[in-house]
Amino acid sequence: MAESYSRREFLKIGAGLSFGAFLAACAGAASPAPSTGGASTAPSPSSAGSAAPSIKPVPSASPGPINFLTWSDHWGKDEIKAVKSSTGIAVNVTELADNIDGFNKLNQVHGQLDVVSGDALWVPKYYDAGLIEAVDINSFKVASELYSMARSFPFWTKSDGYLAYPWGWSPIQIAFNPKFVTPAPDSWAVLIDPKYKGKVVMERQPTDMMLFAGVATGAKDIYNMTDTELAAAKDWLTKLKPNILKLVKQNNETIASLASEEAWLGTQNLGSPDRVKKAGGPEIQAFVPKEGTTGFIDGEMTVKGGQNHDRVHAYIEAGATAEFVAQNFLDNGRPLWNEKAYTLLVNMGKKDQADRYLYNQPDLALKMQLKGPSGNTDAYIKAWQEVFGA
Amino acid sequence: MTSTVPAATEVADTLPPAEPGLSPRRLWPFVPAAIVLGALFLAPLSIAVAASLWRTSPSLQLIPDWTLDNFRYLLGQAGYIALFGKTLLMAVVVTAAGITVAFPFAYFLVRYVSRRWQRIVLLAVVVPFWTSYLVRVYAWQAILGSQGLLNGLLKELGLISQPVDVFLYNDVGVFIVLLYVYFPFAALTLYSSLERFDFTQLTAAQDLGARPDQALRRVLLPQIRPGLITACIFVFIPILGEYLTPDLVGGTKGILIGSDIISFYLGGSFPLMAATALLVAVVVLALLIVFRRYLQVEDLVAGGR
Repeated sequence: MAESYSRREFLKIGAGLSFGAFLAACAGAASPAPSTGGASTAPSPSSAGSAAPSIKPVPSASPGPINFLTWSDHWGKDEIKAVKSSTGIAVNVTELADNIDGFNKLNQVHGQLDVVSGDALWVPKYYDAGLIEAVDINSFKVASELYSMARSFPFWTKSDGYLAYPWGWSPIQIAFNPKFVTPAPDSWAVLIDPKYKGKVVMERQPTDMMLFAGVATGAKDIYNMTDTELAAAKDWLTKLKPNILKLVKQNNETIASLASEEAWLGTQNLGSPDRVKKAGGPEIQAFVPKEGTTGFIDGEMTVKGGQNHDRVHAYIEAGATAEFVAQNFLDNGRPLWNEKAYTLLVNMGKKDQADRYLYNQPDLALKMQLKGPSGNTDAYIKAWQEVFGA
Repeated sequence: MTSTVPAATEVADTLPPAEPGLSPRRLWPFVPAAIVLGALFLAPLSIAVAASLWRTSPSLQLIPDWTLDNFRYLLGQAGYIALFGKTLLMAVVVTAAGITVAFPFAYFLVRYVSRRWQRIVLLAVVVPFWTSYLVRVYAWQAILGSQGLLNGLLKELGLISQPVDVFLYNDVGVFIVLLYVYFPFAALTLYSSLERFDFTQLTAAQDLGARPDQALRRVLLPQIRPGLITACIFVFIPILGEYLTPDLVGGTKGILIGSDIISFYLGGSFPLMAATALLVAVVVLALLIVFRRYLQVEDLVAGGR
C-alpha cells in the first residue's frame, strides 16, 4: 500500500500518540499501586509515626561506587584512592554549591545518592523531610577519634540516632588583601564600600548571602527576618552587587581569585590566608566582622534508601581517619572534628597553624550563629534573586 | 486511434479502497516518533507547564495549587523584564556579528580557496567541537582575564600600561565568548548555502551593468536567504537559553535570562524556574513562527506537499 505523509501530518500523529500515552501514564500514576509485599523494609522508629515518605533501599545487583554529594573541601583524591585500595569501595563525588542545592537534588533523586554533606541546622531539615536516616554514631570505630562534644550536638541528636557524621566547622570570615584594602576593615561594611567595585568574590549561596545581609543590617533573627528587615537586607545586597566580581560555586574558587589578586575581598572559612599563600598568592588577612557572622558545623548524612547504603558505614570508617583528616586540614585550613588528627598535626610540627585556626578550641563552634534554613526561604530566595538575577 | 493508456478513473478503480481514518495497523510507523516526541518533548513540557502554575510554600515545598502568580510576579518585576530585553539584545547583536564575520569567511572560502584547503579550513572550524563546551569557555577566562593572554598582548604592543579588566566578568566577555561559540554554526550553514551557488551569475549580473554590491544584494543574497535565516536560527535561539557562558565569563554583570532559570532551580523555586523557562519558550516559538514566514522548510528539506 503506497501512502505518504507530509512532515506536518507525521509530527501531528506522532504528537497525538505520545499525548495519548502521556495521559495514560498520568492516569496510571494517579491510581494507587498494588502492594508488592515482601520487599519493604521495617519502618524505623522515627518514621513509623511521621508523615515522612518511606523510601525502600534499592538493592543493586553489583554494588557500584558510593555517590557522594559534597563540597570541594570534604574529600581528597589521595583519600579516595586509598579508601578504594583498602576497602574496594569506589566513590563518585559530585560537588554541591549550597545547602539548598543539596536538599533539592536529594529530594529529586533520593536513593541515587548515598552520602550528602550538610550544615548544622540544615541537617534536621533533611531528616524531617525523610531524606536521611539517623545512625548510631558510636557504631563507627573511627568516631572514637572525634572530640566528644561532636558526638552529642543537640540539634543532630534524635531518639533513633545521630543525624550526621561530624566533619568540620568554621565561622565565616571576610578575607582581604592588605595591599589594596586599607585601612584594615572590621565590619561587613567593607564589602559594600564603593572603593572596592568589582573586587569582591563570594560563594553563590543565596540563603547564606541573605543571612550575611541580615547580620550586616542588624536583623534580630536572621532566619526569620520581618518584611522591613528583609527590605533592609535586600538594600544591602543591592549595594553589594556592583562590588561583586563573580559568585563562585566552591570556596576553592574564592581562594584562586584572591591568589590571582583579581579579587581583593571574599567571604571564607578559617584558614584562607594559608590557602591563598599555598596557591601562590599574596599575604592576606581575615577577620570576623564586628556585627557578628554565621558559621557552620558540617557533617556527612547517610541517605535513606541509598543504592549503596550498606557500604556507607565502611566508607566513613576508612575515609574519616585521623591521617586523612589531618591532611584535609593542611589542605583546607579550617578546623575539623577529629581530635586525633589534631594530635597528629601537633606531632607533625603544625601546632601553631592548628591553634591559629582554632582546631584546639572546638567549644567555640557552639557559640556561633549556625547556618540553617530560613523560616521563609521562598521570600529570601526571591529577595536575593531580585538583586542578583535582574 | 484508441489510447492504450488507462484513464485515471480506471486506475483508481483498481486500487484497494482507502481505509477510513487511521487504523491501529497504520499507526505503527509513528510509534518511534511518538516515543521521541513524548519522552523528550511533550512530557518535559507538560511538567514545566504544570510546575509553572503551581506555587511553593515558604519552606519551598511544591504545592499543586493552580495559579498564575508566578507569571504575574515575573512580568511585574522591572528587573526581570529588563534582563529579558537584554538577553534578546545580546542574541540579536551576537547573531548579527556572527553573520557579519561568517559571511565573508564562507564567501572567501567557497570562491577563492581550493577544495583541498576548504576541507582543511572547515576542519579547523569544527575541531573546537571535539573538546567540551566547558573547557572552551574556561579557556576564554584565561584569555580575557586581567592576567590573561589578551592583556599580555595589548601590553606587549604598548597599547596599555596596566592590565585592564574590561574583557571579563561583564557583557563584553559574554559577547566575545558567545560569538566564538556560535561562529561555527553560522559559518558552516552559510558555507553549505554558498557552495551551491553558481558564482557566474554574479559575473553575468555585472556584465549586464550591475555594480558588485548590487549583484551581491540582488542576485546572491536572495538565493542564499534560506541559509542566512537558518544561520540566524542556529545562533539566535540557543543564546536565549544560554547559561554557562554568562555564568563563567559574565560575573554578576553579564547574566542573561538563562542564569535566572538556573538560579531559581538552585534556590528551589521550581514554579518560578518553570515559568521563566516557559516565557523564554514562548518567545522562541514566536520567533520561529516569524522565521517560518521567510523560510519554506518543507520545500527546502522535506520536499513536502
